[in-house]
Amino acid sequence: MPELANQADLAHVHLLLNHFPTIGTILGLGLLLLAFIRKNDHLKKVSLEVMFLIALATVPVYVSGQAAAEALKGQSGVSMDAITAHNDAALGSFIMMEITGFFAWLALWRIRRIGRPTTGLTYTVLVLSVLTVAAVARAANMGGDIRHPEIEGGQYSGLFGQAAASGGFISAAAIKDFVLQHPWVWPTCETLHFIGMSLMFGVLMIVNLRLVGWLRGMSFASVHRLLPFGLMGFGINFITGMFFFIAASEQYTQNVAFHYKVVLLMLAGVNYLVLTVYDEAWALPASADAPLPGKLLGASALVLAVGVMYFGRMLPFIGNAF
Amino acid sequence: MLTSLEQSAFSTWLLSSNSIWAYPTVLTLHTFGMMVLVGAALMIDLRLLGFGRGIPLQSMDRLFRVMWVAFALNAVTGTMLFVADASKRAPSLIFWTKLAFVAVGLVMAVMIRRRNFESGAEPVVISGAAKRLAIVSLLAWSAAITAGRLLAYVA
Repeated sequence: MPELANQADLAHVHLLLNHFPTIGTILGLGLLLLAFIRKNDHLKKVSLEVMFLIALATVPVYVSGQAAAEALKGQSGVSMDAITAHNDAALGSFIMMEITGFFAWLALWRIRRIGRPTTGLTYTVLVLSVLTVAAVARAANMGGDIRHPEIEGGQYSGLFGQAAASGGFISAAAIKDFVLQHPWVWPTCETLHFIGMSLMFGVLMIVNLRLVGWLRGMSFASVHRLLPFGLMGFGINFITGMFFFIAASEQYTQNVAFHYKVVLLMLAGVNYLVLTVYDEAWALPASADAPLPGKLLGASALVLAVGVMYFGRMLPFIGNAF
Repeated sequence: MLTSLEQSAFSTWLLSSNSIWAYPTVLTLHTFGMMVLVGAALMIDLRLLGFGRGIPLQSMDRLFRVMWVAFALNAVTGTMLFVADASKRAPSLIFWTKLAFVAVGLVMAVMIRRRNFESGAEPVVISGAAKRLAIVSLLAWSAAITAGRLLAYVA
């Protein structure tokens, strides 16, 4: 398996991507506000899509951050307290970001049924976006405190006070201790991870085999209704997967199978978004065949899902995870 | 006999070969089969329980074919994994519990198909009996996965 990135590359990836969540959420929030001012439903839809994509892009930002932290460990001029504080703030903002992305997706899914973005869900995304912008900006700011000579030293101790005195709600170290000190946590998460995977793949099979044309006699609109179950399965796996990652991040950040898995997961996420808003197919009657792009979309969704499973299962064999 | 199975050339190859095509691939195929089999079963169960009502039950009939192919794959790969580790698996209560739940899941699939699909007519309402079968199926597959996963940690 060719290497995608070593630890130093991943630190670069982190530095390259780490502005996306901050700028992306501000952009998404701005678009959403503009959509409200202009009362433009189409713009609302676009801003929800932006929010979902930014939530997706935040995954490699968080994951590569662990590799960057490992690369910095033990170097002089780097405060471990500042790294810990940034990590905890990043984890908190990451969770906020993913909740926002989930509601943005839910709002997009509902459009198919109602015909326009519903007020309740759109306002929920709006409020969550404001909170996410604040959380992400705080995390980004603490990240800047780790090693930027121009703002280091002297009296300056971070915009939000002394970084080391984090005092946030979430501690990655506490989660790590929780997972590693209770022998039942890891196997339980593994079990849920496999059940979530089956649920997610069941939905992907029906929806995409319908698109491809192997399953017939069911309307496109009726299989679209199943999509939240797919996201529910993904949610279970995302949460349990993060428990694994936080508890033993070294065995993932330096694992080529994990790098491939994250890349395929990003592509699968984009595929799922396109699938959700792919109106050309969802409006077709039960007897119809999807157009060629729809068939390709369906086929690629299945290939990507199997790919994600493959690299997950291969973590201990291609890579070094236990 | 278990030991001789375990010491066969096949078992030695499966466990000690460094090839990615040995143990890792067999295990991955087993996981793939599980995901397809249980995924298809869960979808039929959810439909019977009232989710995705717009999907005609009859149009899901093809999923049973998917389930049998996936089960065949897992019967083969599962046997391979058992043979390689026979003396450890054979006395394991968790292992036999897993097989029992798989059997329950398969029996549920047969019964669900017989009751709701074979007539070829779309039911107006899903009967309480069909819903109970769907719930037993959901629980059996979840339990089979749980026992299967525990094999890697406890047994």
